[in-house]
Amino acid sequence: MSALLEVKDLVTAYGKIEALRGVSLEVAEGSITCLLGPNGAGKTTLMMTVAGILRAKKGLISFSGKSIASLQPHAIVASGIALVPENRLVFPGMTVIENLRAGAYQRRDDLAGDIERLLGRFPRLKERSEQLAGTLSGGEQQMLVVARALMSRPRLLLMDEPSLGLAPLVVEEIFRIIAELHRDGVSIFLVEQNAHMALKVAQHFYLIEQGRVTFSGDPGSLAEDEVIRRAYLGSAKQ
Amino acid sequence: MFLDLAQNTLDGLARGSAYALLALGFTLVFGVLRRVNLSYGPAIMLGCYLATWASMAIHANLILLLAVSVAGTVLAGAYVERLCFAPHRKGSAIAAMVASFALWMQLEELAVLALPRHLYAFPALYEGSPLQFLGLTLRVESGVMIVVAAGVCVALRRTLYHSKFGLAVRAAVENPVAASLAGISLPGVFVRVFAVASALGGLAGFLISATHEQVTPMLGMWSTLKGLLAMMLGGLGSLPGAVIGGLALGLVEAHSQWFFGPQLRDLIAYLLLFLLLAMRPRWMTTQSAS
Repeated sequence: MSALLEVKDLVTAYGKIEALRGVSLEVAEGSITCLLGPNGAGKTTLMMTVAGILRAKKGLISFSGKSIASLQPHAIVASGIALVPENRLVFPGMTVIENLRAGAYQRRDDLAGDIERLLGRFPRLKERSEQLAGTLSGGEQQMLVVARALMSRPRLLLMDEPSLGLAPLVVEEIFRIIAELHRDGVSIFLVEQNAHMALKVAQHFYLIEQGRVTFSGDPGSLAEDEVIRRAYLGSAKQ
Repeated sequence: MFLDLAQNTLDGLARGSAYALLALGFTLVFGVLRRVNLSYGPAIMLGCYLATWASMAIHANLILLLAVSVAGTVLAGAYVERLCFAPHRKGSAIAAMVASFALWMQLEELAVLALPRHLYAFPALYEGSPLQFLGLTLRVESGVMIVVAAGVCVALRRTLYHSKFGLAVRAAVENPVAASLAGISLPGVFVRVFAVASALGGLAGFLISATHEQVTPMLGMWSTLKGLLAMMLGGLGSLPGAVIGGLALGLVEAHSQWFFGPQLRDLIAYLLLFLLLAMRPRWMTTQSAS
C-alpha cells in the first residue's frame, strides 16, 4: 500500500506557540489510520492544517504525490480530501438537504442520486430531510456532518473526534459507518479520544504528545491499556 | 387631515423604497463580510456621474444609462473592494472601515476636482404628469421606485434560497469555517456579494438621480448616510430588517417634514436612531442575513 497522505516535519504555530513541532506521518491508500493523544497534543491542529484552515509554518503535506500545503481550503476539498470537523459544525439555519448540497459545492454534476444514497445510509436524516439542521440532536448532527463531507466524494476522509459527547449507541453507529465507508474504498484518517473503539477499526495508529509523534504501529503492537494511558494522560517521561 | 396623512404615507413609502435599496446593499456587505463599507455611496455617485457623462456625450437612452450606472458603480466598487476589503479579509473590521472612509474622501475629491461644474443634469425617468387616484398624487418615478424595490426583494430572496450561489452565501454567513470545509471559496463568495451589492447601489443611484433629475457630489454622502441609517434601524445584518428600516426611515421623514417642517426632518430621524440604539430592542440585535 502506498501513502495517500504524507505529512513531513510539519510545524504549525499559534503566534509564537508551536502546536505541532515537526510531525511526520502517513496515511496509506485504502486504510483506516488513527491518531490518538491527550487533549492539547495537537490533533485538531494537524487536521485543520491538512484541511488548509490553518497554515503550516514549515513542513510538507502531500496528497497522492502532490503538495497541498499552499492550497486554499476549497481547493483541498476539490483535490479529494474532506474533513469532518470537531464540534459538529452544521449550518444550523439550513435544512438537512441544503447542508448536503453545500457539501457538494465543488461538484458540477447531478446530486440527486448521491443525496438519495446517503439518506438511505443515514435513515434518521431521511426522516428529517426538510428540517433545519439546528433542530437535530447531537448524534443526528454528527451524521449530517459525515454525510455532508461524503457529498464531495472524497478519496480521503479526515474525522476529528466524531464520537465526542455522543451516547454509546450513537458512537457504535458512527463506528459502524466508518467501517462501511472503509469497505467502500474511502481512506480514513481518524482522530479519536475513544482509543478502545478506534483501535478496533484501525490498521495503523499514531500517538501524538505535545506536538510530536511519539509512537507509530499496528493496533497489536502496544498493549491497549498502555495506549489508552498515553492517549489520555501522555507519557510520564515528557 | 386623513388625506394628508395618507399622502404623506405614500410619499414616505416611495422615499423609503430608495432607502431600502441602499440599505440592502449595505446589509449584504455587512451581513456576509462583517464589514462596513463607507465608500458605498461615493461608488454610487461615480456610477451616476459616468451615466450623466454618457447621457451628454452620446445621448444614451434610459436603459443604457441604467446599464452605465450599474457598470460604473460595480467598477468603482471593485476598486474599493481591492483596496479596502481584500487586504483585510482576516484582519480587523475597523481597519477595513477606516480604509473605506479614506476612499470615500478620495472618491469625493476626485469628483469635485475632475468635474468643472458640481451639478449635472440627469435625464428624467418620466416627463408626463403624476398619477391621480382617490384624491392622492403619486409621481410615476416614485411608483417605479416602489415597484423596483419590491422586485429586488423578491429576486434577492429567490437567489438566496433557490440558487447555488445563494446556498454558498448562506453557508458562509452561518459558519465560515464549515463553509470552507464544504469546498466553498470564501473570497469568491465575498467578491461576488460585493459585486451584487454594488450593482444594487447602481440601480438605486440611477433611480434616485433620474427622480431628482440631477447629480451632485453630495449624492455619495447622502447615499452612505441614508443606507447606513436604514440598515441600523432595521437591526444590522438582516435583509428583511434593511427593507423595514428603509421604509420606516422614509415614513418618519415624510411625516415629520409635514408636521415639523424640513429643517427638523433629519434631526427627528437621527433622534429616532439614537433612541433605538439606547433602548436596544431585541429585534435590533438579531444578526442573521436571511
